[in-house]
Amino acid sequence: MTIDGLSFVGVSRFGYQRTADEAIRALDAEGIGTAAVAPMHPHDGDFGRANRELAAAVRESAGRLVGIARVDPWDAELAVAQLTSAVTEDDAKAVFLHPAEEHFPINNPVARPIAERAASLGIPVLVATGHHCMSEAAQVARFAEWCPDTPVIMTNGGQLNISGMGQFDAQLALGSPNLYILSSGVYREDFLERMVARFGAERLLFGSFAPQYDVRYEHQRVLKVHVTDEQRELVLAGNAERLFGLPRRINS
Amino acid sequence: MIIDMHMHVDSASVGLDVSPETCVRAMDVAGVDRAAVMTLMDLRGADPSAMELIAEACEQYDDRLFGFIRLHPGHREQAHTFLRTAITELGFRGLKLHPVSTHAHPAGEETIDLIRAAGELGVPTLFHCGDEAFSTPLSIAPAAAACPDSTIILGHMGGYFHVDEAIDVAERYGNIILETSAMPYPHKIREAVARIGADRVVFGSDGPVSSPDLEREKIMVAGLTDEQTRLVLGGNAASLLGVSA
Repeated sequence: MTIDGLSFVGVSRFGYQRTADEAIRALDAEGIGTAAVAPMHPHDGDFGRANRELAAAVRESAGRLVGIARVDPWDAELAVAQLTSAVTEDDAKAVFLHPAEEHFPINNPVARPIAERAASLGIPVLVATGHHCMSEAAQVARFAEWCPDTPVIMTNGGQLNISGMGQFDAQLALGSPNLYILSSGVYREDFLERMVARFGAERLLFGSFAPQYDVRYEHQRVLKVHVTDEQRELVLAGNAERLFGLPRRINS
Repeated sequence: MIIDMHMHVDSASVGLDVSPETCVRAMDVAGVDRAAVMTLMDLRGADPSAMELIAEACEQYDDRLFGFIRLHPGHREQAHTFLRTAITELGFRGLKLHPVSTHAHPAGEETIDLIRAAGELGVPTLFHCGDEAFSTPLSIAPAAAACPDSTIILGHMGGYFHVDEAIDVAERYGNIILETSAMPYPHKIREAVARIGADRVVFGSDGPVSSPDLEREKIMVAGLTDEQTRLVLGGNAASLLGVSA
């Protein structure tokens, strides 16, 4: 059963929103079993509250949603405490960082305590990747050096350029063994195929990044990639199960 | 009739499999009948080989591939000569400009002269329109204002971060058409159709390395009416290319 590796629930100060029910309906429409969901950037910037509200929605979802914590590294010790609480008390399976929305370069030392706490908690880090000056693939690779045994997952295949001009950097970044890529919004499908061929299907996860991106279209993006059935199974579910520590076939 | 307004054919030296055969195979998988094809590289100075390569591909796949000549406006008179030759002698149907690779600003004098020449020859100008300097919708908008009798197509309709801006400039300039390739937001196609009309949005894939099959799916996901879908997937492009729908 497919797992959407990253989407969002809540109300964002940047003008978009989605409820947990809407998220589940989108899964149902596509026959997707589970989504890993993170909070939006809340209007008041209180990520602790946003994480707790998300955890409540996850508990009520009958296993359809899996929680991902979100913190703002500029909150310093508070962010580390919020992350710890989200994982130890509310069962968050990963932490999501959005350098563009929280406005920090991912390789700025302000983000290092989050990398180190994620490592000590044994959870992966997802990074909204490809944003100029904030989360270019090479910058994310530098961040990943702070937690070399922790999976760091780059959204958008590691780049956000409509000509794929960041793909070479993304490919170089994948030379770091703890870096992974999410399929959301990727330009182009042959890039995903090349990365699977070069680095293995274990390094690519399906993720919709909804509601900014469309669940149905992002699902099709992965279904139409030319890989073997075994590789596709890893991309659609196996890798998320392994990296997020989910039980095998949690949704079946 | 499904027409892809943005595909590439080039020599193997560019490091990608973008042969005419690969292009047509990808079209067949996606159910695409016809396509506008252009090189990945700009025509270099007085070297016409890229123009000849496209002309040969269109001759090989007559009535399926239609050439766009990709030029560097900085070559000025040479570029105009190639444009006239391509359109009037070789049957090309449009001009392609990629300001990121040429470093020629869309509102620069030499670019505007070339866009006007294309308009006078009765063919549209397709711009790479994304998030990079020289290629954003607001960088191209002054060219649309300066060339009201020329049709300008915004390829990728603004990329990842400039799609709202692309729709905005298309609202302001009636000679702008939006092309859907690569940008990842199906709902923005629906919004564009609602705001500027279904007759000003065209399907493109940036294939064959980008999947026409997946890009076509984006139109289907967009939630358009049947008539709007017909126009976006081919009806509008048929008019632009001067072919039967």
